[in-house]
This record gives sequence, structure tokens and C-alpha cells, in this order.
Amino acid sequence: MSTFILQVSGKAYGSAAPVHALRFAKAAIDDGHQILRVFFYQDGVFNASSLGSPASDEFNVYQGWQQLAKLHNVELVNCVSAALRRGMVAKEEAETQGLSHWNVDDHFHNGGLGELVSGIAKADRLICF
Amino acid sequence: MKKLCVVFSTSPHGNAAGREALDFAMLAASYDLETSILFTDEGVLHLMANQNPESIGCRDYIATFGALEFYDIENLYVCKDSQKEFGIESDSLPLDVQVLTSEAIREHFASVNEVVVY
Repeated sequence: MSTFILQVSGKAYGSAAPVHALRFAKAAIDDGHQILRVFFYQDGVFNASSLGSPASDEFNVYQGWQQLAKLHNVELVNCVSAALRRGMVAKEEAETQGLSHWNVDDHFHNGGLGELVSGIAKADRLICF
Repeated sequence: MKKLCVVFSTSPHGNAAGREALDFAMLAASYDLETSILFTDEGVLHLMANQNPESIGCRDYIATFGALEFYDIENLYVCKDSQKEFGIESDSLPLDVQVLTSEAIREHFASVNEVVVY
């Protein structure tokens, strides 16, 4: 059994990176490995938007992450500074910053880059998508 | 403690990858991971002297490279082939980087635990 930390840098739509990452995560879990955490960095933070609304016959990557988190108890962490720069805001941050809207709900939590680095230190392997 | 190599492979300023790579490298080093940096492909453009990114609305994160020694990031490398392709002269580099051949880069990658490409 190995432990993995995943870094996802590709955006939710327009990049195949998150789909590859989801498939890797599922395959690894099915094989008895552990996904310590999925860390979203760079444009990967767009995966945390609860407002993406693809057509009904398209894959909804947001729901894909939600399911992974729910079924397998995988932690989904957004880099907070990368997220805020790109307008990915959780409810509390919207309140702090006086913004009238927010788009990141409880399936993802905003954390620091330290969560990526401590994950790298702890996991057997970092896999980047 | 694990060893990391952070690879800068995209040009500065046109996208945020270089800045986010630098943030990552400094944070990793502050967590005591032994961190090295390699400039390759378009990433060698980080080493051009006298850049003025503020004129296109970008933050001058290039200046922050000067602080790497305070983070104990001492091993900075540049790919010899890329440096030649992009015409970056060795004698005018703003940072104290070591020029590596492809073979030496392979050896370095083999000596670290993780290679993170930005």
C-alpha cells in the first residue's frame, strides 16, 4: 500500500488534467492505495467552483470531486491565495472581504501551500496533473 | 527529509506559472525540504537581466529570486541547451546558477525524491 498526494493544476473546463487526476485517484483507491489529499493549485482552483453548470450530457467534474470526497473520504484542498486571486471564494472569506457572492462550498476547504508541502513530506509520492 | 527539484519551464509574466512555482519553492524550503531549482525551456527567460514586468501590469516577482539564499535554496541550475537556444548569456545572469547538461539534469532528477514542473 502506498500513499499519494495529488496536485491538480488544470482548470475544471478546458483541461483534461482534473479528469485524469480523478481516474488516477479512483484506480489507486480501488487498488488498495491511499490518497492523502488532493491539492488544487494554479488554475486547478477553478475545480472548486460550485457554480460550473455543464450541459446535461457532459461530465461534471465538480460532482466527480464531490463523489470522490464523499465515497472515499479524500480531503480536497484549494490553495487559498491562488483561489482568491482567481475569484474562488468561500462564504467566510466573502464576508471578511465584503463580497456579496461566494462560490466555494464545504466540499473543498481553502488551505495554504503548506498543506501541499506537508503532504509531500508525508506521502510516498506526489503526482501532478 | 525529502528532496525536491522545482522546475521552471514556462516563460515569466505571460502566465502565472513562474510566480506560483517560486511561491511553492520558497514554502517547501521553509518546511525544511531540501529544495533545488532548475530553469529549462522557456523558463530560462527568468534569467534575462533588466526585466520590467510592471509595465504590463505584472508583479516583479523576478526580484524575489534574490531572496532564495535566505530560504536556504542554494542549488540553482539552468539547462545548458535551453540557455543556448534562448540566447541567455552566461556572463550576464542575475542569479548564481550552475549550468547543467541534459545528462547532469537526469542525474540530479535521480538524486531527488520529487520533481515538480511548473
